[in-house]
Amino acid sequence: MHKELSDLINRNVQGANAVAFIPADSKKFDGSITVEASHIYKVIEFLKNNKETSFNSLHTQSGVDYLDYMEVCYMLTNYDPTAPRNVIIKVKLTDRVNPTVDTIVPLFAAANFQEREIYDMFGIKFNNHPDMRRILCPDDWSGWPLRKDYIAQKDYNGMTVYPDDKMNFEDRDFIVRQDMIKKAQSEKAQ
Amino acid sequence: MQSRWDIGEPIKPTLNVDTEKLKSELLVLNMGPQHPATHGVLRIEIWTDSEIVAHAIPHLGYLHRCMEKHSENLDFRGVIPFVDRLDYLASMNMEWTYAMTIEKMLGTEVPRRAELLRILTGELQRIASHLMAFGTYALDLGAFTPFLYAFDYREKILRLFEEVSGARLLYNYIWIGGLWNDWTDDQLSRVATFCDEMEEEAKKYHDLVSMNKIFIERTANVGVMNIQDCLDFGASGPVLRGAGMKWDLRKNEPYSLYSEFDFDVPVGTGEVGQVGDCWNRYIVRMKEVVESIKIIRQVMDKLEPGSIMGKVPKVMKLPEGEVYVRAECPRGELAFHLVTKEGAKEPYRLKVKSPCFTHTSMLPRVAPGQMIADFVATVGSIDIVLGEVDR
Repeated sequence: MHKELSDLINRNVQGANAVAFIPADSKKFDGSITVEASHIYKVIEFLKNNKETSFNSLHTQSGVDYLDYMEVCYMLTNYDPTAPRNVIIKVKLTDRVNPTVDTIVPLFAAANFQEREIYDMFGIKFNNHPDMRRILCPDDWSGWPLRKDYIAQKDYNGMTVYPDDKMNFEDRDFIVRQDMIKKAQSEKAQ
Repeated sequence: MQSRWDIGEPIKPTLNVDTEKLKSELLVLNMGPQHPATHGVLRIEIWTDSEIVAHAIPHLGYLHRCMEKHSENLDFRGVIPFVDRLDYLASMNMEWTYAMTIEKMLGTEVPRRAELLRILTGELQRIASHLMAFGTYALDLGAFTPFLYAFDYREKILRLFEEVSGARLLYNYIWIGGLWNDWTDDQLSRVATFCDEMEEEAKKYHDLVSMNKIFIERTANVGVMNIQDCLDFGASGPVLRGAGMKWDLRKNEPYSLYSEFDFDVPVGTGEVGQVGDCWNRYIVRMKEVVESIKIIRQVMDKLEPGSIMGKVPKVMKLPEGEVYVRAECPRGELAFHLVTKEGAKEPYRLKVKSPCFTHTSMLPRVAPGQMIADFVATVGSIDIVLGEVDR
């Protein structure tokens, strides 16, 4: 299904460069289609409006930070009782300092909040978005929490974040985090 | 004798200004974050033109607990209690969906009895959640009695869950591969009695609230979300079905054992008001309670003794890959987007697609032009739980 769909995109959207990822075990894992970040609006527009696919709803958008690059995933779905279809469309963003991608709010109103959440968590800016603000964190929070190299700010409006006397650093679960923080700090020092 | 309330003719203000030149502007009114009608800590900035809402801007994040970040540092089993706290009124469904996500990647086969009991608990939880929605919605509209009726019967479900899982709200009961504890025959027979009682009770609610003239006046033709809006915003669950679309994952893309069950998907038909309004969303929930009872009865017939835990490795390590698993929860479609790395014990990324988050984003679309009291009715009718919106 992913192969046919990526061929269809390549035929109809010039320069989309769609590559299908088909997992070895399709029962266990989901496949996806990666397209050029600059063409995402046209690809989604094509998938929404043509008759063969007609994905009529955006289920959600998700971001993933792979350290080398960041991904924005678009989960499209078709609420069609006779032939339900779902697909994951992805774009890769290699720029960590100022990642940008076009918004798809004019196509799906659902993208409004979802893109704000991705901006809030990953710092990925969406061009032409009507309301590009943080959504879950406070407006004056600094840093992008779900990035893998994120270190929480120490001080927020005169309040201590993660005060030592209230944190259980000995806890097994926090050891992982401590490793990551130390690693990120040493990388920053270099 | 002059009544003490008779204060005579009202005094006309004598202003030295031309009233036509008076400056008028929209008034900003904050609904929440501590407001009974927002069902939690949601702040909605309402721009009002006298009694009419001009804009409504939801401000989220008051209950943001960094659940997605935390889960990146926990092993796969350790995430379950965190998942409970998303939609704390439907914890069973949250756990179940998360367990399905991991099981898909592991390729675990869940024993038949465990699957059936999951459906049983899931549907009981759906009834409990819809009862809560019913009670608090009536409370929003000024009727206190239905709230007490609903809590009486919700309590019976919580008692059962308490016996079987040890907790009343945050269960940690559905585990990866199966269940933590089995139901005894005595408990199952009590479920059967509950179903009979609940069926009668649902009729009572119907007489008490659904066809009540005041309730209809407050909800019919209010906060209309048509199918096009719903698809545009990616709505699901009772909101989508209230708009007249016959879509239910349990029926259209059956997961677990739902394909074996016989039940209807209630949709808003517009017998009162118009399709997609508050009343239709409400009645879809009430009809779903009856459908859930049907499913539970079928589970009882199918149940056979057997194991309740599948074969799961002690140290859980998943292969590298990603899945996107959806399930029908009381409030809509919940989905987990899980990305794992080879040999890692914790999720690399766990994204929660929350139905309430999606539905909250619809408020700015439906609000303009409504009366403030009607806006309260609209917020109540989408049945949001803020734990899930903010995560």
